[in-house]
Parts: sequence; C-alpha cells; structure tokens
Amino acid sequence: MVSLNPRFTPIPAAPARLPADHAPGTRFPGLDPAWSRLVTAKTDDGARTFHVLDTGPALAARGITPTGTILAVHGNPTWSYLWRKVIAGSLERAQNGAAWRVIAPDQLDMGFSDRLSHPVPPAADAVSYRRLATRLGDLDALMDALDVDTSSRLVTLGHDWGGIISLGWAVRQRGQVDAAITLNTAVDHPEADQVPAALRAAMAPAVLPAATVTSEGFLKVTLGLAEQTLPDEVRDAYRAPYTSRNGRGGIGGFVADIPAENSHVSRAALTGVSSGLREWNKPTLLLWGPKDPVFQDRYLADLQSRVPHADLHRFEGAGHMLAEDRDLSTPIFTWLDDHFGAGREVRAALRSPAPARKVLGLHEQMTELARSERRMSPAVVDMTAEPEAWSSAEDAATGDRALSWAELHAQVDALAVGLTHTGVRHGDRVSLLVQPGASLTVILYACMRIGAVAVVADAGLGVRGMTRAVRAARPDWVIGELPGLTLARSLGWPGKRISVQNLSSRRARLLGTVTSVEALLRRHEGATPDQLPTPDAEDPVAILFTSGSTGPAKGVMYTHGRLGALVALLVEHLNISPGASLIAGFAPFALLGPAIGATSVTPDMSVTRPSTLTAQAVADAALAGDATMFFGSPAALRNVVATAGELSALQHRGLSDIKLVLSAGAPVHPDLLDAVQEIFPNAEIHTPYGMTEGLLQADIERRQVIEAIATGQSGVCVGTPVAGVRFALAPLDGLGRPSEELLDPSQAVGRLGEIVVSAAHLKAGYDRLWQTERDSSRDTLDGLIWHRTNDIGHFDAENRLWIEGRLQHVLTTPAGPLGPGTVETPVDALEEVARSAAVPVGPQGTQAVVVIVEPGSDRSLRTGRSPVAETSFAARVREAAGSVPVAAVLVLEELPTDVRHNSKIDRTRLARWAEKVLAGEKVGAP
Amino acid sequence: MSRLIEPGASVLVTGASGLLGRSVAQRLVEEGYRVTVLQRGASGLAGVHEVRGSLSDPAAVARAAAGQDAVIHMAAKVSVSGRHEDFVEVNVRGTQRMLDAAVTAGVTDFLHVSSPSVAHAGASLIGAVAGPADPQHAVGSYAQTKAQAELIAEARGASDLNVLILRPHLVWGPGDGQLTSRIIDRARSGRMPILGSGAALVDMLYIDNAVDAFLAGLRRLPQIAGQRLVLTNGEPRPIAELITGIAAAGGAPAPRLRLAPGLAKGLGAVVERVWALSEKLAGPRADEPPMTKFLAEQLSTAHWFDQRTTRQALDWTPKVSLDQGLALLREHIQTTGKVL
Repeated sequence: MVSLNPRFTPIPAAPARLPADHAPGTRFPGLDPAWSRLVTAKTDDGARTFHVLDTGPALAARGITPTGTILAVHGNPTWSYLWRKVIAGSLERAQNGAAWRVIAPDQLDMGFSDRLSHPVPPAADAVSYRRLATRLGDLDALMDALDVDTSSRLVTLGHDWGGIISLGWAVRQRGQVDAAITLNTAVDHPEADQVPAALRAAMAPAVLPAATVTSEGFLKVTLGLAEQTLPDEVRDAYRAPYTSRNGRGGIGGFVADIPAENSHVSRAALTGVSSGLREWNKPTLLLWGPKDPVFQDRYLADLQSRVPHADLHRFEGAGHMLAEDRDLSTPIFTWLDDHFGAGREVRAALRSPAPARKVLGLHEQMTELARSERRMSPAVVDMTAEPEAWSSAEDAATGDRALSWAELHAQVDALAVGLTHTGVRHGDRVSLLVQPGASLTVILYACMRIGAVAVVADAGLGVRGMTRAVRAARPDWVIGELPGLTLARSLGWPGKRISVQNLSSRRARLLGTVTSVEALLRRHEGATPDQLPTPDAEDPVAILFTSGSTGPAKGVMYTHGRLGALVALLVEHLNISPGASLIAGFAPFALLGPAIGATSVTPDMSVTRPSTLTAQAVADAALAGDATMFFGSPAALRNVVATAGELSALQHRGLSDIKLVLSAGAPVHPDLLDAVQEIFPNAEIHTPYGMTEGLLQADIERRQVIEAIATGQSGVCVGTPVAGVRFALAPLDGLGRPSEELLDPSQAVGRLGEIVVSAAHLKAGYDRLWQTERDSSRDTLDGLIWHRTNDIGHFDAENRLWIEGRLQHVLTTPAGPLGPGTVETPVDALEEVARSAAVPVGPQGTQAVVVIVEPGSDRSLRTGRSPVAETSFAARVREAAGSVPVAAVLVLEELPTDVRHNSKIDRTRLARWAEKVLAGEKVGAP
Repeated sequence: MSRLIEPGASVLVTGASGLLGRSVAQRLVEEGYRVTVLQRGASGLAGVHEVRGSLSDPAAVARAAAGQDAVIHMAAKVSVSGRHEDFVEVNVRGTQRMLDAAVTAGVTDFLHVSSPSVAHAGASLIGAVAGPADPQHAVGSYAQTKAQAELIAEARGASDLNVLILRPHLVWGPGDGQLTSRIIDRARSGRMPILGSGAALVDMLYIDNAVDAFLAGLRRLPQIAGQRLVLTNGEPRPIAELITGIAAAGGAPAPRLRLAPGLAKGLGAVVERVWALSEKLAGPRADEPPMTKFLAEQLSTAHWFDQRTTRQALDWTPKVSLDQGLALLREHIQTTGKVL
C-alpha cells in the first residue's frame, strides 16, 4: 500500500491562547468569555499552559462559595466547548449552599491549550504525542495549579477519551473524588473484539495522519454524529481550534493512542483504569446516547459490569454528541443534589405504604399446592398448545393440555437447575420471546427461582419497538420459540440464545442456540434447586414494557418484593381461594396465576391481536379449566361480544360458571359492559385501573359504573382505590402543567390534575432511565414513594377516580385545561360514533378543541370529500360536548391506535393532522 | 382607581354610516352619552348631534372634535379593490387629521378602530396574538393604509393623548351589507365558493358583541390605553360551516361550488388586474370584484386569535354565541324579508 504521507512536515509547538484571540472572527454561541482563562501547570514533562473554562471567578463575583467542584474532561476531537450548556446550567442553579464550580480544561494539544511539537506523524510509537498515562498526570498538575478547595466535594465528568481519562483520574484520586459522571466512553476493549467500523478506518496507520491531521475528516465526521444537524455557528465553534493542519496534531495523537491491542503502549494505563473501576464504590452516573457508532451499547455493558451500582440514563434516540443532543444539566444537577444536597436524607427515607396483606415468596403458593391434596389438579391449562407439546408421556396419549401443580413445580425446579447448569446466573437478564401459555409459565418461574431477571418485551410493541426495548434492556440470554429466535438472530439482538423446543443441529447452528428448554427439562428431570438461595425482596425479578403510546416503550423494573406485593393484593382483592381458576386473555395476569395459587387457563388466541379472542375460545377455556374468572382487554371483550351468537348450549354453561370478569388496559364503554354481562350472566364485571408501572390501583364494578355515570361527571369512572393504594392529585395550571405540590383527593374534589399514586406493588423503577424514574418519583409527600402516572383526571366527593386522558393530551383552552375524556365520553355515547378523539389545535393556553370521529356505521358523516363533518352531525357532537366549545368536528374512517391494545388512540398524531387540516392545508392521511 | 368614561361624556363617532358605527352610536345614545357623528350624508340616527363633512375637510373635522371628551374613529375606506391613492387619503391622512383635530380640541381619549389584517402577511393565523401593524407586509391597499394609520395613532398615543386600538375581525349579523348579505346573495345564486376542504378555522364577531366590546373599550379607555386588541367571538369554526350557516340563515342552500385554493388565488390575481385596468379606463367602479387574492387567502387559511388579553382588558365576554347569532340572523331575515 502506498503511504498517504510520504513526507511529513513537522508540526511546530504553539502557545495556548484565549478563544477570542485565536479565532477573533468566530462567534462561540453559548460560551461566556468570562469563563475562559489560561492556566500554567507543572506537568510530568515541564510547565504547560492550558485553556480552561472555570466558573470559580463567576461564582466569586456573585458572592457564592461553591459546595463542590466538577472537573469536566472533553474527548477527541472536541474541546471544553462541549460542556458550555452544563456550565450555564450550573450557574443558573447556583445559590449559596448549593453551587457547583465547573472546571473544564482543554486537554494539551487540543482546543486552545498549548500545542506540542511533533517531528513525526502520529503513531503508537511516536513519543512526542501525549499518552493516556501522561494525560492523567496532566490533570493532577492542572488541579494543583488551580485553586480548588479539596475539602469540598469533587466530581468528575467526561466524554469519549475524556470519559476514560476522567474515570482514570477519579480512580487514581479516589480519596478526593466523591462521585463520577460519564457520557459515552469505553474503558476496556478486549483484543479479540473488532474495533467499531467507524473508527477502524481512521486508525489504520497508513490513513491515520491523513484522516486526522492533514484533513478535517475525523473532526467533521464526529460533529456530524449529532442527532440534529448542528447550527453552523456551533460547528464553527467546535472547529475553531482545529482549522489549521498544525492545530490538529492532538487529534491524530488521540486516535493513535487507542490501545486496541494488548501490545499497545497505553494498554497498561487503560487496564489500570478498567480494573481500578472494579474497586470504585462512589456514586456514579452514566449518561448514554445509544446511537453512537463508536461507543456502542457493548461498552456500556462493560462499564456496568465494572460499576454495577452506577445509575444509568440511556437517552433513546441520542448518539455520540449527547451533550448537544439533550439537556444534561437537569439530570446531572438533580443527581448531584440527590447525593450531596439537602434533600438527600428525605429521599433516602422514602417508603411505600404497607401491602394489602402478607407478602409471600413468588414460589410459595405453587410449592404448597404441589404438596397439598390438590397436587394433581391443573395449575396451567394451555388451550394454544399442541396436545403433545407440553405434557408428560402419559398425558400425550390422552391429549391433555394441562400441567398439574405437582408437574408445574417439578418442571420449574428441573428447568431452574438446567438453566443454572447452562450458565444462567442470579441477576442475569433473560429475554422471553415465548407466547403466553404453559411453556412461558414454566420458564418464567424457573428464571425467578434462580434470581434471573425476566425481560418481557411482548410482540404488541411491534418489531421496531421490540428491537428498541430489547437493545435497551440488553439481556444476557434469550429464550425463545422459533419466530422470536429468528427475529433475534436476524436483527442482531443481544444475548445467548436458548430455544424452547429441541432443534435439529443444523437449525440450532443457524439460530445460534446453545441448548433448549426441552432438553434441559429432560436432562434434569427430578432435580431440585435446593442448594440455590431464594432471591431477596430487593432483587429484580422482571422488566415489563409500557405500551409506547406516548413515546418509546419504557422498561419497567419489578423486584421480588414488589411483585410479591402485587400477588398479595390480587389474592386479597380477587378473593382467591383454593380452586380458583382464571382465563387470561390479558397476558400479565396469566403469568401471575401460579404465584396467587390459581389455575391459569390460556385461551386459544393470538396475544399480539387480542381482538381475535372469540366467545367460543373463552367458553372452551372455561370448560377445560373449570374457570371462575376471566381477564381480558377491551378489544378482546369487544370481539367476545361480537362472536357470542355462535355459542353452543354447553359453551353457555361454561361461561355461566364465571363469577368475575375483569377488563384491563383501557377504558370500556358502558354499553359494552352490558353486553358482556349478558354473556357472563353470573359474573361481576370489573373495570380496574392500573398501568404497567402498577397493575392494579383502583377498581369498580359494572353497576357502580352505571351509578357513577348518572352523576354526569367528566371522564371515565375507574372506581375507588384498592387495598394498600394511596392516591394524590397534582392540579394542572392554565398551561396544563401539573403542580409540584400534591393534594390529598379529599382536598381536591372536582379539580383536574395529574393522578399520583403510592403503593407497595408499584414498579421498583424504570430500567436504565434514571432521569425518567427520578422525574416520575420526585414527590415526597408524607415520606412516601410516589409515582406520577401521566394520567389526568379528578376525584369526586365519593373518593371515586375519574380518568380524563393523558397529561400529554391535555387541551389548554382559554377557559382552562381540559382532559380529552371530558369530551370523548359523551361523544362516544352518540349512536353514529364508534370512537372519538378530542385534540387541541393552536397555542398553549388558547387552544381550540377539535373532535375527530370514527363513524360507527357505513353512513358518511362528512361534507362531501372534506373531513369536515356535516352540519347536523357537528351540531349533535357540540350538544354532547355540553359547555366545552368545540371548534371543529372532523371525520376519519379509522383513528390510529397503538399496536398492543389496539385501543389507545394516537392523539398526538391526530392533533398534528388536525392542525394542518384546520390551517387550511391540503388534507392528507393522519 | 383611575378614571372611566361614563355616560354623560361627549363622544364623537366617525364612520357612523356603516353597521358597526351606526350601532355603536345608537347604543351610546341609549346609554346616556352625548354623541356627535361625522359623515358626509345624513346619519338617520336619533338623538345625535350631526356634523356633515368628510375626513378630507379639516374644518369639518375640527368642528366635530370641538368639545368632545372622546373620539371613536371608525371612518375608513373599506374595500378589496379601488385606487390606492383613495385609501391613503381616507385611511392615512384622514386619521392624521382626526388625531390633529382631537389634540387641538383637547380631547383626552381616542379609540382608533383598526383591523387584524394590518398585522397579517398572508399565512395562517392560529390562535394569534395582536402583533404590531406591519404596512410593508400587509396585503392590499386597505390593509396597508390601515396599518399606516394604526402606527400613526399608536405614535400619538405615546405622546399626546390616550389611544386604544381595537381590531374587530369579520363583524357580521343582521344589517351587515359587507359580509353577511354578500354570502347570502351569492349562495342564493350558487356563486359562493368553498375553497379546498373548507376546514380552515375562522373566528368572526357577531355585531351585538362588537357593540358591547366598543362600549366596554370606551368606558375603560383611560385605564387600558396603549393596548391593541383583536375582537372576535372566540369561537373559531371551519370556514365552510360559517358560510353554510350564514347561507342557511338566509334560506340559501349549502354552497356546492368548490375551488382549489391555488386556483382561487390565481383567479383572484387575474380579476384584480382586470378591475384595476377597468378603473384606470373608466374610473371607480361601484361593484366589488368576485374574487381577489386577498379574499382567496381569507377564505382558505385559518384566522383565529388569542382572546385572553382582549377579554381581560375590556372585562368583556361575548353575550351572543355563534349559534345564537345564526338563529337571530334567521329570525331577522324571516321577519323583515331582508338582511339589511
């Protein structure tokens, strides 16, 4: 290969200068010249001058004594400009008693600091270039030269190479450093692993000088990684120190210092950092942009394995230039305040209310039943299973689809042992790509038994949503059926793979599976995991995902204790006694059957499409499992009603044994409840309120719904709190913002606000979303842990909760904030309407209300081809809306909804559409 | 508490020949104000002092202003066509003369009537606030000259006397010969087009509400001078619904003629040129062109406003809702047999 640099003109040394002196024509948006100073420090190889952004003088000028210092270290090829927003954020928040001084140096040979002389091009063996080890020494020297109060708090902050250097320095100075924060970086690179493609090109020795020094290539590529194209002036500011070839020696030097191989000169220093981190026990915050082509999620996983106690926020959609992509001041300073501020003790002491009844281990009921006289009664009945798939040899002959309590218990034990032998450990994350049914139940309880964490990303999220969810949760293992494994393989989802069924060796190779559940069960039949400790209440047990109808699906973490509290609540609330049997048309409940000690029957349906559940399938499930309860989503209930005409007399009898019907997931129309009652003549029909973050919070029975509706209030009545649940309300202001102060429901009767809840069975937290979790649990009223639900509604004088929509969907009219449900509930009751959405158009605080209707019959409700409703129908909608002024009524053949429930209307999308239509623009699809 | 302009005060109303001016003057008389009106012809109003003359006549303007406590300056040349110079004479110079005369006569309070079009460059107005008048970007002679006039009035307000600017938007109702009768006439003959989907949200102002707002504005003028307030019913509706509703009140069928907005604008531009040419050759025309670019924009883009500041400043809310207004219009047409 021909060298691209046949002759290298030496790079001369140059002194540090202030940005304004070096680049007088450049504007530096967001950078206050008063922060800039030049500091000379005694480094390992002599006195060097650094350009440093330092808020010390600015704070002193305001008479504020810093309570701590943040040392912020940039990477390659940026400079301290990277931290300008964090610096501004620190000054905005600074007040006496709580102020952070930020010191952000430009590293040597970088930014506006001293340029070193280089006789040769950058290479791993070129000694004139700075190395990781010397750079760590540089920070020592600089901190000595700066007047930093070492008795106050010291925190490091880094990005890219600055992440390694700042963490390395923190480890070295662990006596002084109190906490560490880093953005995308990597502290280890196993030699066997390939360097990310994005970097490999620039690192090839023949190309390196050309890519990094001679040209601006590396610089421009890096700046191009921002989520939104950077404004020209910001780009120019980043480029300002590197516009000349002689200014870019450090960029090449950094790339040449990447110790990808064990023989690299900086390898030992890197190992020092990475192994030192294993001892690191101070508070740590990781802020991560997952779309980074260089510092990919695998480096994050490595960091987490070294610092398992680190808090992490993974900013879905952001990438390498996270500091440009997102506001980092809020998470950084909130986090620092939580650790070092005044509210620390208060937050540390927060507790949940007592659970509804005594919390048992998740396996206790099952174990007990397996040893009782009910041991041969069915624990799991799977109407979706091929008769032979899940049964012992004897059962296969009879075509039995059930597992008895004894069988279930034995299989869970055997698989727990099998998984342990395969290498699945306590704390490992296991993604379950298995349809609800007997097999999923066995696998789930086996995972729980060994303390593994089940990652349940259901197909209801859609393939893209699932991919995002699985990447975010980063499972160590994937257990799946063929479709799931194929998806995992083709989309490159992380995790070692285990198939459910035995696969041919060819297929196993193709899908990259290490074993199968079937093989493990056979191999370990009769084994018991008695030597394995049972998990603690604080151990994570599962990660579920929100439906993603208001942004990317969020992982919701449950611990054994919190899931146990949910189980206790269900036993209490559903009055579960021996012999109870439930048909689970709504997946989460199916999985809890064994824990609550009830038989769970999975009806024959496609989980991804709950609307395919037929009345016959429910009846067959009821007959097969002697079911007493039926859980379904509203979409499933609608189809059950629609298919009820085809029930046989026997099937009717099966349904008449159902004593309780529970509809969960979304509000249900009272007419539908009446129709459901006809099909289940002896059942109480309940429509509870809950969410992925807390599955059951309030409940109401059909007749109470009818009573409540008669009071003519806004929204959907979801009843009163269940045992162990406390509600509070955060009233909305005129712009639809919830108050920071919580009110007890009794103090806020009739007021519209965000619903806030506290209960022992709430989530333990959002997974890898520190900021989202902190935001949702920011309240401290009465020393309780609260959860902001994002739902809005009101409480009435009977302590009933009425849900009026989502916080994101509030309409801020001139008359005040309004929940969409206020309008939708009465409009939905109109005969012509299948469903409706009330969305706002116009500026916050003076928004106009628009009702978009999906017609209930073939009758067109439009005016000609226009989406504007015909006058007489619009008048009926306005009459139904009562005192709420409706600016426009539009008609759409079908309202867009979420995939999982097929019932949550995408109001954000509709609002964007309505805004365009009502501005007079050409009408397209929403 | 600062001063109010209460009944008993002397008030000059210019432009009392139009529906709004006439109605305001009438109400002022009923409330007990001493009312003078200035216009070229007879006003036909009972209980007012009449000064006959035009805004081009400084002597007449001075006579009208003499002895007044307040002026409501509504006189303007309102049209979508015509010679630009005529608009300048009435709307710009006329306002200038009125202000001069008012200051000379020692009038302390001046209610200048303007239009939302003075701040409108053609794009959709969605919950818009009352931005500053912008003669450079206003569309058409009317809006341009009204924008200049508003700036003049505003400047005088900063130095010489209290000035309140009210910008009523699309006043309609029984007796309205501008908008209401034209919609009904054209709908009756099948010439009323709906542009595009007809979904653009537009907010109009029912005449009775407009009169209430003016009375409230006059009364509180000393307290709220310096503000500019858009006046609407605060009930935006799709333009097709408004047109259909007004047509129906006049017994006309719902308009069926649908035009693409782009086509309408193109047609409007052609018609404007033809009108201008014919006026150049034959002098001012008495009729209005069937379509102009301005009108095409008015009929196809959203026009609605943030009314929070207006309602708070005037301590006023519209008493007659849009639907009530339509019912009143129908009743009026059925009993009188005509719109006017």
